[in-house]
Amino acid sequence: MRKYRMLTLLLVVGIMATQTGCWSSKEIEDMSMYVGLALDDGKPTATEEKLDKQGEGYPKRNLFTATVQIVPVKTGSNNKQEKGQGKGDGFLNESETGDSLIQLMRQYSLRRERAVIGHHLKVIIISTDLIREQNIDKLMDFVLRDNDIRPSCIVLLSRGLARDTLKAGNSEEIPAFKLQAMPRGHFRTGEIMRGVNLTRLNSLIGSKQSFMLQEVASSDGETEFSGAGIIKGDTGRYVGPLDQMDVQSVSWITGDIEGAVIKSYNWHDEPMTYELKRLKSKIIPRVEGDRLSFHVHIESEGRIMENWDVDEDPSQSEFLNRAEKIFEKTLLQMLEHLLEKLQTKYKVDVSGFGKQLSLDHPQYWKKVKDRWDEVFSQTPVTFDVKFTITDYGSSKK
Amino acid sequence: MFTRSDDKITTSQAVVLLTDSILGAGILTMPRDITEKVKTPDAWLSVLLGGIVALLVVWLMTKLSQQFPGKTIFEYARNIVGKIPGSVVSMLMVIYFMIIAGFEIRILAEVNVFYLLEKTPIWAVIIPFIWTAAYLASGGINCIARLFQIIFPVSILILLLSFLLSMRLFELDNLRPFLGEGLPPVLEGLKSSLLIFTGFEIVMVLVGHMQHPQKAVKAMLLGAGIPVILYVFATMIVVGGLSVTAVLRSTWPTLDLLRSFEITGLFFERFEFPFLVIWMMQMFCNFCSQFFVTSLGLSKTFGIKFPLVLFALMPILFIAALIPKTMNDLFALGQTIGYMSIILFALVTVPLSLIYLIRKKGLRKHA
Repeated sequence: MRKYRMLTLLLVVGIMATQTGCWSSKEIEDMSMYVGLALDDGKPTATEEKLDKQGEGYPKRNLFTATVQIVPVKTGSNNKQEKGQGKGDGFLNESETGDSLIQLMRQYSLRRERAVIGHHLKVIIISTDLIREQNIDKLMDFVLRDNDIRPSCIVLLSRGLARDTLKAGNSEEIPAFKLQAMPRGHFRTGEIMRGVNLTRLNSLIGSKQSFMLQEVASSDGETEFSGAGIIKGDTGRYVGPLDQMDVQSVSWITGDIEGAVIKSYNWHDEPMTYELKRLKSKIIPRVEGDRLSFHVHIESEGRIMENWDVDEDPSQSEFLNRAEKIFEKTLLQMLEHLLEKLQTKYKVDVSGFGKQLSLDHPQYWKKVKDRWDEVFSQTPVTFDVKFTITDYGSSKK
Repeated sequence: MFTRSDDKITTSQAVVLLTDSILGAGILTMPRDITEKVKTPDAWLSVLLGGIVALLVVWLMTKLSQQFPGKTIFEYARNIVGKIPGSVVSMLMVIYFMIIAGFEIRILAEVNVFYLLEKTPIWAVIIPFIWTAAYLASGGINCIARLFQIIFPVSILILLLSFLLSMRLFELDNLRPFLGEGLPPVLEGLKSSLLIFTGFEIVMVLVGHMQHPQKAVKAMLLGAGIPVILYVFATMIVVGGLSVTAVLRSTWPTLDLLRSFEITGLFFERFEFPFLVIWMMQMFCNFCSQFFVTSLGLSKTFGIKFPLVLFALMPILFIAALIPKTMNDLFALGQTIGYMSIILFALVTVPLSLIYLIRKKGLRKHA
């Protein structure tokens, strides 16, 4: 009997030992999380070159330079003196050059004592120089395939060096977090596109149609959304930028706009500004026989929110009617400017015409989708814009 | 609470048992499987049609089983076609259930290791699940039913909550154009969508264990109807949230949908983790009921004691689960299971029903 009790006891202890759980857990303090990833043209940085000179490297082609923003950095006392790119701001930017993103991530382990993990990657910035040469599908392959990186991370373009957008600015914030939060301004202005996360990007790339991504400009750590870059569907490469007004015009056409202002000059050449309250826009594809044309109908309600002409009274309906006409004309000019750019300069469609066609005329779409950009640039597009100014704010003069 | 020892389950328990036997790993890959065939946003229609066909089959199986109250397929197959052919039929069913069990536990382990427990050896995930399932199954169908009753509301709630939260990504345009290319792609998708409801063959065992077999038709149709509705919803929400192209480019589309947003402020910022953890219980349920039926079938066919079969099956299941080497093997196995389900229907359900009908009529004539 005693013998059995010993045996049971041993068994219990043995089982308990296997029940400790979390076999492969790693303390978060021992890991470096990267929150931002910037992809640049493949030119090794100065530090990298110095390091390479002292040792043997590994076989690679310098196709791109990846910069990761790592947080949190241990806040030691000597961190202040270390005048790195991070400047002791609670984050650290590190660059590596090569031709495989995952290999680069593993290479960081050669330089830091703590391995980098991608669970908290918030933003990816790609420089337009790089994407002019490399297909975006290739560049994004790893981040879409990886099991750590969540597809909720957003993607931006940068016309300058992408890693510059991750530099410390005047604000205390971690640049990657700031960039991640910036698309939320979408509700304020049509110049900010709805944030494109990896899932959405995946679907855009997979559709083989041209699309645009928000561009961010940087100067001394300050960043600004400066329009958008167009990526051609069939090559996956960058073809050129759209300015802020063009991005706003695209938003007006697609109707994906929550807040916007239109500034114009009245008959005395004084500025006045229309604030959008409600927008209804519709792209109407017309197929007659084999001839395709688009009509865009835009109806908007809003208010006069700023008027510099002290001699005029915006509460008069006469004034409002004249103002409506002027704003309509301004928007029309914006739209036509955009269309000119898309159809003549870049010969691409990034403003949802193809999508609407595919919804309304799937059969016709099937015929033209493989050469849609070409077809679109030959397709006549007409606009009609209707503005209604419903009120003039809290000032009546 | 009182303990039952008569191996009977109530009507609501039967509903839950059937639902849990169908609902499992399928939901993780199903939207892609169907969309690959359909190639238009109408995949959900294929799922719906496939579901209706599955419900008809369930109805037929229930009707057949009702003719033999208190008996499972493993017993009444012999009554209909004789001892040896009956045993062959039973063995076919047993092999089928065993493959599903192995498949289910392997998918569970694969997802677990890929997303949650990287670097944990796969055996360390599979073995505890097999042990727990064996312990549960050794208590008989009643224990299983009661555990399922606890897990069912939790996992359904989490599933619906996940769907609800994913609505922020949902775009109706992703599901349009509706029938843009007509019905042919939808029918093409039927090839895949008929396969996703596998596991419902368990009906032919459940009805025999029901306390009120006269309510079986309603219970079984409800039990199979819940997964049909959930699968249709899942397809709509995943395709609507990701778009057809993104679904086609994703290995685990349902998880990718949940990974595409973060909710700051909610208790869970990243919803794929609670979903996976809870859904693992659902996959466990699925595994457990297939495991139970496999053992039951073997024990009834060969007259071996049930616990003995149960424990002897543990290592076999473990090895079976590890046979597929790559992910592609595993997905191919999933397909094969679907085809087996159709073959079983053609080789077991239909002949048994026909022979039964003929013999019944024959008996009447002679009487």
